[in-house]
Amino acid sequence: MELRISDFLKPEAVMMDLSAKDKISAIKELVEHMVTNNFARDRDELFNALAKRENLESTGIGDGIAIPHARTDAVGDLILVFARSSVGVDFSAFDGKPSYIIFLIASPENKKSEYIVALAKLSRLLRKSAVREQLRNASNNREILEIIKKNEE
Amino acid sequence: MKIKRLLLYLYNAEDKGIFDQVVKLCQTFESQLFVLFVLEETRIAQVPRMTREKVETIRQKIEEDGWKMLYLVEDEAVESGVRTSLHMEEGTAAGVIKKYVENYEIDALIIKRRDETRKLFISSPVPVIGL
Repeated sequence: MELRISDFLKPEAVMMDLSAKDKISAIKELVEHMVTNNFARDRDELFNALAKRENLESTGIGDGIAIPHARTDAVGDLILVFARSSVGVDFSAFDGKPSYIIFLIASPENKKSEYIVALAKLSRLLRKSAVREQLRNASNNREILEIIKKNEE
Repeated sequence: MKIKRLLLYLYNAEDKGIFDQVVKLCQTFESQLFVLFVLEETRIAQVPRMTREKVETIRQKIEEDGWKMLYLVEDEAVESGVRTSLHMEEGTAAGVIKKYVENYEIDALIIKRRDETRKLFISSPVPVIGL
């Protein structure tokens, strides 16, 4: 059965108003949210895996989107977390724009295939300006989930 | 010797065969790696004639496969400590490569040798490493 991103995005994993103003603080806030909601079991291990990747590449893919991601055994399954920032966070995107929509993807080390497929599907989805617009204008968690579900084929 | 910026152009899944060589090259020359996949309309338009699928379905599949390859390279590169950026663009491969060479001061282009990319060896404004 084909992987669907919406299957890995739980309502509790949607953060409608990220307070962080910089990349590292944003990742810390996302990690904290994951640990609080039992999506991750090791705060430090998860943060370190994400930060290591951020040091080596820009996960800001442009057009106001960032997709920080890592494979780490700090999570037990593939997990997707959505966060929205009203002021934008600098994820060092090549277009120079801050990121207002942030999707974090984390998976255990042994789920590389699913992880790559999830990243690919999400990246393709977020290239559509209509989807980005809908996500920026959504009012609540449920709408975010609906937007993802509706737009993934 | 340092080569500051390398641009890896991806064409299709066969390119996976050169990923480890690319990463080793980047480590040897302490290079930053730019990985590029280009959605070319001419390439997308060819497929429906063979498969009778809708153009939009084919476009989505090609784009998604492109993203998969981008993230596969990135996974290997990051594990090896290579600074990497991923780029999905639309246009012609030659045109986008030329734009990247100019905008990002690329020192050399890496391509897997195949018939479809032979013309890039000629049109490239920088040295080409064919693997």
